[in-house]
Amino acid sequence: MDLAILETGQTLLRAPLTISPQEIDAYLDAVDDDAEVYRAEHLAPPMAVAALIMASAMRAVALPAGAVHTSQELDFAAPVALGPDGATLDCLASVAQNSERRGTRFLVLEIAADIQGRRAVTGRISLAVAESEE
Amino acid sequence: MSDAPETLNQISHRVTQAQLAKYADASGDHNPLHLDEAFANATPYGRTIAHGMLVLAFVSESMTKTFGRAWLCEGKLKARFRAPVFPGDTVTTLGALKSTGGATATYAMTVRNQDDVDVLTADATVPA
Repeated sequence: MDLAILETGQTLLRAPLTISPQEIDAYLDAVDDDAEVYRAEHLAPPMAVAALIMASAMRAVALPAGAVHTSQELDFAAPVALGPDGATLDCLASVAQNSERRGTRFLVLEIAADIQGRRAVTGRISLAVAESEE
Repeated sequence: MSDAPETLNQISHRVTQAQLAKYADASGDHNPLHLDEAFANATPYGRTIAHGMLVLAFVSESMTKTFGRAWLCEGKLKARFRAPVFPGDTVTTLGALKSTGGATATYAMTVRNQDDVDVLTADATVPA
C-alpha cells in the first residue's frame, strides 16, 4: 500500500478479535512474564491485546518490512477477563497522523478495544518508515 | 499517595532470538527486522532487533507485579523507544516514583541494557 494516501481519521481495522486462553499463555511465555494475577484471576494482559491489534493494523496497511516503532501510549480502562473460550473484543484502528520529513514517513495510529461494550484498551502508536521502503 | 513505593523491584531479562520468534508468533508481528538475519543485516541496525512491544511488556510486567489489578484496569503508559535491543542483550527494568497527584502516582520507568544504555523510557501512571 502507498502509505502516502492514508488520510487522518481513516479506519484501518474494525473487527472482532477473539483471544483464547492458549494464546494468552503463549504470549506470557513469549514475554517471560510470570505475574500471578493473570492466571489467578483469568485476565488477559492488556499489552497482549494492544500487541494483537497493532499487528492487525500494521497488516491492514501492509506496513513495509523495516518499519520502526518510535513511541507508544497506552491506556488500560477495564480488565479483559478470559472465559473458558477466551474473550472477544471489538477492535478499531485508525490513522491519527501521516506526515513525511526528510525521506522518512511518520505514521501515528490509534487503536481501541472494547469488551462487552466497555472500553478496555486505547493506544497511540508512532511508526517511522524510510521512504525507500514504502 | 503514601503507599506508593519510591522505587520498583528491578527485573532483568536476557533477550534471545528464540524469544523474538515466540513473540512474533504470539503477537502476530512477523516483521523480518525482528526475525530474518539476512534482511536485518541490510538495515542500519545490522542485525535483528527486538520488537518494541516486547521491551515495553517488561515495563508492564514490573507495574503488574507491583500494582496488580490496579495497573491492568487503570494503568497508563507513555513510552519512547530510544535504542534497539539485540538478541543476547540483557535488559533491566527500573522504576522510580516521579510524582503523585490527584488519585494517581506516576513512575519514571527505564529499560537499560548491559552497557548502561537506556533503550526505553516511559511514564507509567497508576491509580493511588
